[in-house]
Amino acid sequence: MQAYQADRQKLEAADTVVLGISIDSPAANNAFAEKLGVTFPLLSDMNRKVLKQYGILKLYNVEKDEYEWAQRTTFVVDKQGVIQHVEEGTSAVNPNSAIAVCTTLHKK
Amino acid sequence: MHLKSFAVAALAAVIAAGVASRLPAKAPVPQAAVAHTSLKVGDTAPDFTLLDNKWKPVHLADFRGKKTVVLAFYVLAFTEG
Repeated sequence: MQAYQADRQKLEAADTVVLGISIDSPAANNAFAEKLGVTFPLLSDMNRKVLKQYGILKLYNVEKDEYEWAQRTTFVVDKQGVIQHVEEGTSAVNPNSAIAVCTTLHKK
Repeated sequence: MHLKSFAVAALAAVIAAGVASRLPAKAPVPQAAVAHTSLKVGDTAPDFTLLDNKWKPVHLADFRGKKTVVLAFYVLAFTEG
């Protein structure tokens, strides 16, 4: 999330908004946003509805119990609501390719 | 089959049998079994409304015709990435 904040000028230039999404509560996300200095919205998918919709609910084993939360994933959605970029896993932490897609879309 | 490759195959079979016998009857689902998104470039992004960190609803469709949107799903607050 910090990387998107650091690149906010590139994102604004590309007429792009960032929505961070996790299963955390709004209160937890707000504390996280304040800690990181993030100014874009962090959304709460507390009932995991959107994670299921997007097919990225991931099972994690912690201390012999199972939990479901998000697989790290980035989607770029264009102004027509169409997905233009999908990136899953650890590579999705780096926003550069997603931002490049947004910049290219803006130039079209 | 060469003697050497036969020996390797036999060894692999013995190891596999050994591992299988140690697995519980109902093995926990490994993380690798998790399905990856079936959404791909060109698909319409499923619409949603979620509460932001100020408890305000944010509706994906509201950005239609106005902004490109990056949906950055992260694992948990206060973790890396």
